[in-house]
Amino acid sequence: MIGETRVMLEWADDPAQATLEGYRSHGGYEALAKAIREMTPDQVTEQVIQSGLRGRGGAGFPCGKKWTFVPKKTDKPKYIAVNADESEPGTCKDRQIMERDPHQMLEGTLLAAYAIGASAAYVYIRGEYPHSIRAVERAIDEARAANLVGRNILGSGFGCEIWVHPGAGAYICGEETALLTSLEGNRGYPRIKPPFPAVEGLWRCPTLVNNVETLACVTHIIRRGAGWFAGLGCPGSTGTRLFCLSGHIRNPGVYELECGRFTLRELLMDLGGGTLSGRPIKGVMPGGSSFPVLAAGELDVRFDVDSVAKAGTSLGSGAIMVFDDTVSAVDVALNIAEFYSHESCGQCTPCREGSGWVRRMLQLVRDGKAGAGDLETLWDVTTKMDGTTICALAEALVWPVQSYVKKFRPEFEAALAAGIVA
Amino acid sequence: MNFSAELVAKVEGLWKRYPHRQAALLPALHLIQRERGGWLSPETIRDASELLGIPDMHIRGVVGFYDMFHDHPVGRHIVRVCKTLSCKLRGADAIRGHIRSKYGVAHRGTTPDGRFTYMDFECLGHCSTAPMMLVDDEKHENLTLAKVDDVLGRLA
Amino acid sequence: MRVTIDGLPVEVPAGANLIEAAAHAGKSVPHYCWHPRLSVVGNCRICLCEVEGMGKLQIGCNTQVREGMAFHTENARVKGARAGVMELLLIHHPLDCPICDQAGECKLQDYAVDHGTGVTRYGFPKVKKPKNISWGDKVVFDSERCILCTRCVRFAAEVAGTDEIGIDLRGEKATLIVKGDGHLTSPYQMNVIDLCPVGALTSRDFRFKSRVWFMKFTETICTSCARGCNVVAGARNDRMLRMVPRPNPQVNDHWMCDHGRLHYGFVNDPERLTSPRIGGKGAPYPPAIARSAELLKAARGDGILVVASPFMTNEELLALKGICDALGVADRWFVKPTGEGDELLRHPELCPNARGCALLGFEEAPAEPAADRKWGALLHVVPHEGATLPAEIAARAKKRILLSLREREADVCLPLTTWIEKDGTVVSAGDIVQRVAKGLTFEPTLLTERTVLENIRAALEPGFAPADTASQAFARLARACRAFEDLTWQKVGTGGVRLGAQEVAR
Repeated sequence: MIGETRVMLEWADDPAQATLEGYRSHGGYEALAKAIREMTPDQVTEQVIQSGLRGRGGAGFPCGKKWTFVPKKTDKPKYIAVNADESEPGTCKDRQIMERDPHQMLEGTLLAAYAIGASAAYVYIRGEYPHSIRAVERAIDEARAANLVGRNILGSGFGCEIWVHPGAGAYICGEETALLTSLEGNRGYPRIKPPFPAVEGLWRCPTLVNNVETLACVTHIIRRGAGWFAGLGCPGSTGTRLFCLSGHIRNPGVYELECGRFTLRELLMDLGGGTLSGRPIKGVMPGGSSFPVLAAGELDVRFDVDSVAKAGTSLGSGAIMVFDDTVSAVDVALNIAEFYSHESCGQCTPCREGSGWVRRMLQLVRDGKAGAGDLETLWDVTTKMDGTTICALAEALVWPVQSYVKKFRPEFEAALAAGIVA
Repeated sequence: MNFSAELVAKVEGLWKRYPHRQAALLPALHLIQRERGGWLSPETIRDASELLGIPDMHIRGVVGFYDMFHDHPVGRHIVRVCKTLSCKLRGADAIRGHIRSKYGVAHRGTTPDGRFTYMDFECLGHCSTAPMMLVDDEKHENLTLAKVDDVLGRLA
Repeated sequence: MRVTIDGLPVEVPAGANLIEAAAHAGKSVPHYCWHPRLSVVGNCRICLCEVEGMGKLQIGCNTQVREGMAFHTENARVKGARAGVMELLLIHHPLDCPICDQAGECKLQDYAVDHGTGVTRYGFPKVKKPKNISWGDKVVFDSERCILCTRCVRFAAEVAGTDEIGIDLRGEKATLIVKGDGHLTSPYQMNVIDLCPVGALTSRDFRFKSRVWFMKFTETICTSCARGCNVVAGARNDRMLRMVPRPNPQVNDHWMCDHGRLHYGFVNDPERLTSPRIGGKGAPYPPAIARSAELLKAARGDGILVVASPFMTNEELLALKGICDALGVADRWFVKPTGEGDELLRHPELCPNARGCALLGFEEAPAEPAADRKWGALLHVVPHEGATLPAEIAARAKKRILLSLREREADVCLPLTTWIEKDGTVVSAGDIVQRVAKGLTFEPTLLTERTVLENIRAALEPGFAPADTASQAFARLARACRAFEDLTWQKVGTGGVRLGAQEVAR
């Protein structure tokens, strides 16, 4: 039996946990107090490095290492941008933290601010999350009233402001540089790199961008120690992670798991309960819609970041979408292409023009009006979009779409003449 | 300019949060849109420009970029139904088709009685409780056709 | 620093990006959105190059060279990426070439030929966007043709300072918008037409006038003010059709103002004087020149007023000075038209060569000469427009010899030519001597002022021979005037030369 290891969601079922009093009753803000009173900023960073914590937004970059990119000596103010734009299809986990236990995210933010010397943090919450916005705002107000946010936190010299900043409906604003550009009051355009946000981010000042769940983990790492965190999960995927099961699964939901203890198939059949219909699984997207699909025969991969990467895809944002054999692979690929072409910011040529063309070609295949040459063209156009753009949205379309064409080729070819078969 | 004193006070509060006032644009536009009937007309954008000290054209470009800002009149409520993969797999297509035909609306269209504007929306982050829709600030998860009719029927 | 480009070692300046470095090696990396004077955005993606040691292709515009770097601008991988970008740029692009003014000077056309595949595989309806939108009365916008490189957006924000162009909508629907009432306000707005690499922004003035391959282009300068912005004048069938700026870092950077750009119509004026007139009746040059010399000689006793024009070239002024010297003329004036300059390029002197006038011994006409000043003859080079000698003062000369565009009633009228009809030099603001160059012949029988004035001088001063070429004329100038002594016509070139400080003080 695969069970959860609840750390971040340990108290999430308790409505009081979202309040300061409730949070504190379960050890809340002890980590912050310990850090401020007993640790140097560098020691906080070192703990995060030792923990093996990897970013939970989708890219999986080592969190502590990212913190070291922020320059120590600078005349400019430093900022933190909390990436709460959660818009990756299949992902509904940051919302759990924000709605049910937001203080652990705030505490992690303050710990990060202490570590890098930031004076203000903005929690960029997607506009379509009014509940999260309200919950986080309430939590900040309570924290500020208790001298945990603002100047002179806990009577130390350290101070950091935290503000909620709402998005307004654009997936691309989850890309860290687009988030910063949007936060500054602009269209959400990603930026070319260099410069990198750690050096030139918000208003050209050093800025650390971290995901909600990543910062929640930081709290627990400082509270209970890097060694404890590193002992959970497995090397390369330490700690606990939130995973969202959705689609044709009997037990959809958000689960907090340790990686490396089971395979993907075991997870889906055991905790997931298998497909809702009882029919065979046809495909699984293990990390959101931005990475290749795994076909039915590929599910015995060990469930951790590095193993899944070796299998040619990614755990990404922790969004596991399952579909059974009643669904057409062409239809799924089209749904994904519609998403990315709608969300393309339009800045750079390959994504702006290519994403719409890919969508149109898949529509043609779906409608039974495509020819063999169209599949070749589709493959070539997606290849030309890969690695040629300002940000990774193009890859987020290309990788999954190509994986569907490759792994379900017969279905695509059958659709050429007849439209969708299934 | 004709914004409520309350809104102006909120905007002034927003300005204090950022080293540059332009960063208050998105949160301010949400407030302004809410106060001006749920959409941002050219006049409203001009008023916003004056209040915020941000050029009219810049605001127009922002309004046109984000899916939650409307530059055309909307109904009294906004109904956003998610169409992305997890919701699709759990029956969102049928729900969308049902709403379109029963209420006679297309994407971004408003019901003839002005009750609500319908939008096909991309992933709304409730994938494990799919299918779902957001009606104004209220979430409705695990939808069935009956539940949809119930919620929409109660909209005034 | 030393880098390797396509396998060849090259020495390039530190700080150069890959496009600039490749140019040093004689290689041309295609680019749309990058411009040396605008911020880097890296959105067109056509400048992708392969940098050894880096997995993904890198945009050349945002990659600086490093010592020992090796990169490729034309291997198979780069060519494939470029062809991909080209195809994508063209999928929604309208088939407007037959009606688009940009044809023949369009980077979409040029790169499609050089880097494209020659066929499209896109078979769907194209995205439709607004066409033929007037952004005021100078610039026309066609959104379907726009590749969203944002050069115009950045120009308006970073150079013109008006920040009046923006973008609306998202993805493939994105389109440009303009502030306020949709009309551009900057007096430099037409520079976006040159910047636009495609036919999305075109000139209302030039619209449908001519295909560029039928035109003759001449590198010269604008003469509407003392700045002397470097331009390329475009003519067809010996009539001026347009002017566009060309870069000169010491004069005008890459820009010119709209006023100067549009100010060429007087060249084409069909009412222009095309042959001399004696006493109000048409006459050939020889008798007109002879009559002028006669009148001047006869007026010596009563005093002669010579009024130069600050639109004349240095060589023409030298010829006029020669006449003054031969006749012992004391009153050598010119009238300097002035207006408002701006912080960018426009100079308050609304003429190209007030400095030349001063260097060659002419002084600004007194505002109010004493009421009893009178002259036996007036030799007046009348500017084609703007401030000139008041009629009341001209009337105080018994005889009048005028060189002008339109005057027909005087003792002798000689036709004026415009700056595009002759070779010569002027001294622009900043004491930079620059060439004007002949780009058209308005009327084959017209003689330039230099020729006319030198012939008058020859009539007054036996033994004096007019110069044959621009180079010779400049050599005479260099001999006669210390300010130019170290220069030659060749040295002035098409980029101009700054005069030394000491020579300019008179």
